[in-house]
Amino acid sequence: MIVWAVFTLILSSVSALGQSGLYGDEFHEELVLKQLPSGHVYSYFQFTTLWENGGDQPNHHCHLFPQSLSEVLHLYNVDEMHLSLTGGLWRHENWGYPVVSAPPGAELWAWFKEGTHDVDKKWTLLSNALSGLFCASLNFINPQQSPSPKYSFAPLGAYGSASQNRSLLRYSTLPREIVCTENLTPFKKLLPCDSKKGLSSLLNAGNIHNANYHSLGIHVRPQCKDENCHETVLELKQTVSLVYDLIILGQESRDWSFRKLFGVGLAGPCPLAKSSKIYVDCSTNATTFDYNLSPDPTEFINSNRGGYNTVFAVYDIKKTHIINMFSVSATHKGPRVQSIISPPVIHATRYIVGYGQEHGGIVTKIHNNHWKEIDITLFENIPWFLPTYYHTLKITANGGKQVLKPYAKHYLPGRDRSRPYTLEFLVTLPPRSVTEIYLEFDYSFLKWQEYPPDANHGFYVGAAAITTLLPHTKNYTGVPIDGSTFSSSINASRDTYPVTLHTEILLVTLPTPDFSMPYNVICLACTVVALAFGPLHNHTTKRLQMLDPSEETKGVIANLRQRLNSFLTQSTKAKEQSSPAPSEVIKSPQKEEAACGSKVTSRKKDRAAKSS
Amino acid sequence: MGLSNLSRSLILEYVFAFVLRVWLYNSEFKTTIIGRVEVSTPVNSWKRVTEGVVLQKDGVNPYSGDMFHESPVGLAIYSQLIEYASPYLPGIFILLDLITGHLLYLTAVEYMKHLMRRQEEDKAEFSEDVKDLLLSQKDVERQPLYVVAAYLFNPYILFNTVAQTTTVFSNICLAASFLFMAKGNRWGSCVTISFATLQSLYPIVLIVPAAICVGYHTLPIKKPQKLTKARAIAPVKLDIYQKMLPKSLRSVNSTHWITSMATTIGLFFVMLTSLLFLSCHLSGGWEFLHSVYGFMLLVPDLRPNIGLFWYFFTEMFEHFRLLYLWAFQMNALVLYLLPLSLRTRRDPILLAASLTGITAMFKSYPSLGDVGFYLSLLPMWAHIFPCKKFFLSFFSLNLLVLFNKEKNSVADLQQGFIVLAAFIITSVLGPTVWHLWIYARSANANFYFGVGLAFAIAQIFLITDILLSYTKREFILRHGTSTLLHGKHGKLVLA
Repeated sequence: MIVWAVFTLILSSVSALGQSGLYGDEFHEELVLKQLPSGHVYSYFQFTTLWENGGDQPNHHCHLFPQSLSEVLHLYNVDEMHLSLTGGLWRHENWGYPVVSAPPGAELWAWFKEGTHDVDKKWTLLSNALSGLFCASLNFINPQQSPSPKYSFAPLGAYGSASQNRSLLRYSTLPREIVCTENLTPFKKLLPCDSKKGLSSLLNAGNIHNANYHSLGIHVRPQCKDENCHETVLELKQTVSLVYDLIILGQESRDWSFRKLFGVGLAGPCPLAKSSKIYVDCSTNATTFDYNLSPDPTEFINSNRGGYNTVFAVYDIKKTHIINMFSVSATHKGPRVQSIISPPVIHATRYIVGYGQEHGGIVTKIHNNHWKEIDITLFENIPWFLPTYYHTLKITANGGKQVLKPYAKHYLPGRDRSRPYTLEFLVTLPPRSVTEIYLEFDYSFLKWQEYPPDANHGFYVGAAAITTLLPHTKNYTGVPIDGSTFSSSINASRDTYPVTLHTEILLVTLPTPDFSMPYNVICLACTVVALAFGPLHNHTTKRLQMLDPSEETKGVIANLRQRLNSFLTQSTKAKEQSSPAPSEVIKSPQKEEAACGSKVTSRKKDRAAKSS
Repeated sequence: MGLSNLSRSLILEYVFAFVLRVWLYNSEFKTTIIGRVEVSTPVNSWKRVTEGVVLQKDGVNPYSGDMFHESPVGLAIYSQLIEYASPYLPGIFILLDLITGHLLYLTAVEYMKHLMRRQEEDKAEFSEDVKDLLLSQKDVERQPLYVVAAYLFNPYILFNTVAQTTTVFSNICLAASFLFMAKGNRWGSCVTISFATLQSLYPIVLIVPAAICVGYHTLPIKKPQKLTKARAIAPVKLDIYQKMLPKSLRSVNSTHWITSMATTIGLFFVMLTSLLFLSCHLSGGWEFLHSVYGFMLLVPDLRPNIGLFWYFFTEMFEHFRLLYLWAFQMNALVLYLLPLSLRTRRDPILLAASLTGITAMFKSYPSLGDVGFYLSLLPMWAHIFPCKKFFLSFFSLNLLVLFNKEKNSVADLQQGFIVLAAFIITSVLGPTVWHLWIYARSANANFYFGVGLAFAIAQIFLITDILLSYTKREFILRHGTSTLLHGKHGKLVLA
């Protein structure tokens, strides 16, 4: 009875806690559509969950926040976590900046809570847990290959103290990771409405992986509850970035609609969402493009941010009465015009120079199109199988004419099979310049079992990350650090706008051994060693003797018989105590070869005995 | 007149070697040679030295990464060189090479003198018909010149100098240790061998021949016997080189041998330990042990070279790796040390040369500089085999004069032609198949490994042949050139 009473008490208290949490939790779903100057359509989904009591108690009721993720975060002391799974490359030069940047493949970085002792172990467990959660190969991340960047990847959340203990940070990329349906399904399961209702119902695997660029992102950080920032909430941002090439999508038409991009229309908002909005960036409408949106948007918002004006057509799904299926479509008017693409302030490319599989070099080119100097942080993470020569690092601008000196530099040389080569530096890019960063490396020769299947496909090298603060918002779409939802970026003018760029990943073909030959190689090498051992063994254990060549050619059995005979005759002779042997041909030596001479003599004795 | 002739040709050799090196330094071949895997290995390449020096200058511990494998003492020297003498580096390397050549010359002179004296002493025991085999005054004068020529005009050594590998430094240490060995100088040989060991570990084996050399030289001088008739008959009894006869003296002086060898080896280890402590002090920790010696012993970098390790351990099954690492390292370090020391104890310089050769063949990261060094020592024994011209011809690139059978040679370099041909062919074929594999990508690793095997086999034949020839000559000197055995023609074999 008492047990029952206690149980009821616990149950009621737990439900009470859950109820109290429910009121503070929020879920927002947003979709941003933007026709890029190159004609591609960029669609960005952001699902933001704010968990009021997140991070306080481990067993707190989750309500809107996915429980599986919250358990992982609590268990491994994670303060902040950023995971991205990306297919394709974001082309900054043509497309501007995305809302969230991600390198090709998988990228994971996390800040652990202050006071976490075994960060490496927690990091391994975290990556393994996430691997299970998202069906990605994150379990291949190991602590040895995960550096702690010194200047890049600063924490984005709200923290009580400003101290940044960099040993609590881990960063890792898996450039070879392929992103597909198997990652999207668990991603959607974390959403409060799954993919049943709301904007997430547009995430149709077949259409999403058709895109030129697709990127899933999970970003967890503590965020201020209000403007005073006395308390924090746990913010989970689930993002999906897609870039469609309309030409490839079919009908050779520039027109787009939900049906064309996602294959389905929208049935309605997620009932659990506090807001459910669609933003269409119409800034370039009537300048670069000329299209009609249908249906008419709920409102037009003018966002004046950092001197640049952006017009958004906003559809508030919560307020829209949807009878059948809701679909936004753009119908172009007039002839197709190829517009001039003005590249963003900072963009970068990276490639490998050199030929053959012996020596090579990595070149990273960073363009600064601004009229002023810009400070950047470059983070290079080169895997151990490309041993890099730090002394060959050259940072030059304007075709090698100007040598730049970084004002902070951090280099950690790699170790074979255990640690990558990490280079990080802060440098000021001269105005209107192209800066070239050059590093030489050698191609490694691995053990035959270290090559992956299809060894001649090559090895991927992760992207370099460039972090900088932009002076203005041209081509910039990012959400400000103090905001959670995309709507917070409207009219959000700041002094600078932080951005992280990721370069291309590289494919390096390492020289391969012959995989079919282990036995042959082992046998041949051992034979050569034996070729030395045999003669040296002979030379050191035997003595020179003058022998009759006719006897020498005798077989093994004959030799054995002769030895037996000689042994027998010797013993009989010893009994008889016969006189010494007849005359010797070889003069008996007195010193070193004395023993040798006597041996010859004894053999001759044998022979004499035999002949008699 | 003869002496001035000799010194004139010696000076000519130095001048010509200098000019040749200066030319090669300024030629377009320099960059090609520097990049060759046969010349620059991970443990001796100058690029990695520069890397280590720059890392240290920028406050990064060079031993925390896997790019630098020189000892901290070496690092201190190289950083001074790069800091203050960067423009003069080629000059310094050429000078070091010429000094190495001269040290080898002095070694050869000393050794030839010793051989001559020993021959005089032993003459009484020699067979009567071996006059032609004996070392002549001409040999004594010429052979040191051959040694210098074989060193300075050896293409392997030339490549090594031009590539500025740190093998130049280890070669000068080795050459100095050979000189000190020939002179029987305990301190000198201990210092030079410990420096060489600190740099590349494998020269540690040389302490045994050094201890034997010192042992011979420090034998207590026998009290001069009273002037009797016997003294008059037995010549030069007082000469220290008479002490080279171990059999007669070993029994008498076993305590001397034990104490002398123990002192030398003990002194060596004291020096090596103090150098290691100095290294620890310089680098601020023992991390360098793993980076320098661990790297050489565990062979983590499988970049191809002229040795046997790289492909063998590329293709090795993981669970056998440790076993074969032990086997191969023992093969290079300790396997032949004791038996060869016992066998060739009468001639410790030959022992030292063959040990140097064996380690150059079987060490984990051999380079052409190592091979060139022991090859250039071999003309010291040019009198024991027929093809004196063999070395000269090969190393002075005068390939037309191959063999010149000399009438007075009985001991035979059985595989001479094979070795010579293999050296030439592998030296040409190696870079070719390397290009095919790495650049043209039309061949694979097996081709290059095959060439490496042939090169190793050629070296093995060379060393075993020289040891055998030496033993045969010693035998024939005492037993005569006649091969008659019991009225029939016998055959000289190891049995």
